[in-house]
Amino acid sequence: MRLADLLSLPLVALWQQKTRTLLTTLGVIFGAFVLAASLSIGDGVQKTINREMRRVEFARRIEVSVSWGPAAPAARETRIEGTFNESRRQRLLKSQQEMSQRTRFARPKIALNQERLALIRALPHVEQVVPDVNDHGFAILENRSVNTTLCRARPDDETCKKRVVAGRFFESPAENAAVITEDLAYRLGVRSDAALDALVGTPLVLEFRAPKTEAPIGLYLANQNGDMTLETQQALETLMDRLPDSLEKLGLSTVAAAAIRGALKKPEEPTKPMPTTRETLTIAGVLRAPSDEELNAPHEYSVMHAGVLLPYETAAAVFFRGPDPKRKEGLNNASVLVDHEDHVKPVLAAIRGLGLEARAMVQFIDRQRLIYLLIFAGMTCVAAVALVVSAIGIGNTMFMSILERTREIGIMKAIGADNLHLQLIFLIEGAVIGVVGGILGLLLALAASYPGDSWVRSMVNRDLDIKLEDSIFVFPPWLAASVIAFTALVAILAAVYPARHAARIDPVKALRHE
Amino acid sequence: MLKPEPESSAGEIAIRLRDVKKTYGSDGAPVHALRGVSLEIGRGERVAFMGKSGSGKSTLLNLLGGLDRASAGHLSVAGHDLGRISRRALARFRSESVGMIFQSFNLIPSRTALENVELPMIFAGLAPRDRRALAAHALEAVGLGARLDHRPSALSGGENQRVAVARALVNRPRIVLADEPTGNLDSETAETVMTLLLEHVAQNGTTLVLVTHDEELGRSSTDRVLRLKDGQVAQ
Repeated sequence: MRLADLLSLPLVALWQQKTRTLLTTLGVIFGAFVLAASLSIGDGVQKTINREMRRVEFARRIEVSVSWGPAAPAARETRIEGTFNESRRQRLLKSQQEMSQRTRFARPKIALNQERLALIRALPHVEQVVPDVNDHGFAILENRSVNTTLCRARPDDETCKKRVVAGRFFESPAENAAVITEDLAYRLGVRSDAALDALVGTPLVLEFRAPKTEAPIGLYLANQNGDMTLETQQALETLMDRLPDSLEKLGLSTVAAAAIRGALKKPEEPTKPMPTTRETLTIAGVLRAPSDEELNAPHEYSVMHAGVLLPYETAAAVFFRGPDPKRKEGLNNASVLVDHEDHVKPVLAAIRGLGLEARAMVQFIDRQRLIYLLIFAGMTCVAAVALVVSAIGIGNTMFMSILERTREIGIMKAIGADNLHLQLIFLIEGAVIGVVGGILGLLLALAASYPGDSWVRSMVNRDLDIKLEDSIFVFPPWLAASVIAFTALVAILAAVYPARHAARIDPVKALRHE
Repeated sequence: MLKPEPESSAGEIAIRLRDVKKTYGSDGAPVHALRGVSLEIGRGERVAFMGKSGSGKSTLLNLLGGLDRASAGHLSVAGHDLGRISRRALARFRSESVGMIFQSFNLIPSRTALENVELPMIFAGLAPRDRRALAAHALEAVGLGARLDHRPSALSGGENQRVAVARALVNRPRIVLADEPTGNLDSETAETVMTLLLEHVAQNGTTLVLVTHDEELGRSSTDRVLRLKDGQVAQ
């Protein structure tokens, strides 16, 4: 028997039973549709997550932080006075010690200092190391000074770039430049648009002063604008020096005067001249205040609210040159960008090997992917069940068809069909139903993906404020091939028993069959 | 192609049965359809089997046509030992060596006359163009050249049986087995069909085995009449 005839006989038989073939194929179409849609959206969502993560660099970013050690030991031993039973004494002692611990700063086990930042920068696949520098000092413009916060920024920070109203944003992470806000410029005495534009290219001095002591009382002397100038800072320090000697003139009770005197008591350390450092940078640009939309968008708070921004490498250099001895203990955090998300895990391990804490979004993303995979695996199982149900339908339909065609099978046997011919004819009938059902189900899923994609896009845009660039339904060639192959396989398997039954029909009995 | 076993010394024997038995139902109450039939039919000979219902005529015809296997004995048809050949070879034997004509025509209702006649050639592996031409020629030979695309439901009983004759003869079998071929036809149509059949048999030297109840048809159409009674050849 020729191959073409082996294909045409089943096709003719299916065509002659159009309604039955259609109904049987509908079951396969539904199963294939669910399977294709499930695989498509599963793959599409994974790709969308990867694409979105790659777009916002989340997947390539590692957040590094120091590992904190115990706080410095308390100056004096904690004691519980009074008469308490032992268990209560222990509870009170413990809570007092914990309170004492909270009031003292912990020290990092391993400092995130310049040397370690350099080690991280030298790791393979590390593209960028952005130290998390947040500082405060005095900005000095000509003869005006004002206290301000400063923060490091990345030259590719698109939100900051949009805020530039004069000059430009940074061109490199190490340039000796600063950008300041309109607000800081105003506080520094700039009073016209022209004067603000003229700031670009002029020098800005930043002065950093170490805390003279760890003063046990905080006093704040504000001028009318709420700004602390160098002069008010110096006046405050003078006040704190002279206040203990003036307490008697204030008419305080003896107890109150003793309490304040105790609070103002200076630690017993040699008095040194208060160290200061000065940095001179060129003003590259001026930023407007962030809009409400920008403030609501996910962005670092300190970058959005700092009066002065420095390129991140310059900021780190300035920080480590600062006067505060604590700066030697390094920074608390840094952000590391890796060249590809596949390299995040080895870099993460290397950073942890340096004794630092490190976390990456990729770990969270992996968990999310696992969740999605489980969901879509469940959906695929449902689709497989649908196909199994379809397969039962196919088997039933074909069995009924064989019963109806018993005489025809007998005739075919009488005129020369052998068992193999008949088995193949019925298996091919099953395969045709499977392939056609698979293709139509696939096309249906493809057609449904357009409204489905629009709906998901609008939902994501509305609820998450994310504009998806590409479809979350993907139909790669492997998916189409898999769906069609699977439906064909299921249909063929469903046809095996009816086909064997057909082949075993006794032609003598079949020819008598009415 | 099947390789027939060497034929008798004279080369004249088309069918040989030696003590052929056929029993249905091995347990309980077995039915002995054939109880040791021995006979020989020569090549080109026309033989009629007659007998009452249940005498074993159709059983014998099914064995000769390779539709069933004997329970015991030796059965050789067109040089093939039907007791020994495989199922596949038996199917090929049915396709190439014998043509069968049934009382109830046994045409496939969903196929046209041409397609019905083509069917044996499909299983024999002929190319579509060749088999289509042969089928059309066979139908023209039985006077149905104008009815090629008609389905059996659109043809009369006589026309259906002529299609069945064309189908049986189209592969040029060495043996034609006809089971009551005129049983469902009026006398005039029956005569036409038998004339066509006998003409072909005569022209091609084909062996004809005819099963019939019609005494006159048996005598007039064949060289020899064998009577079956209770599963045995009575005469």
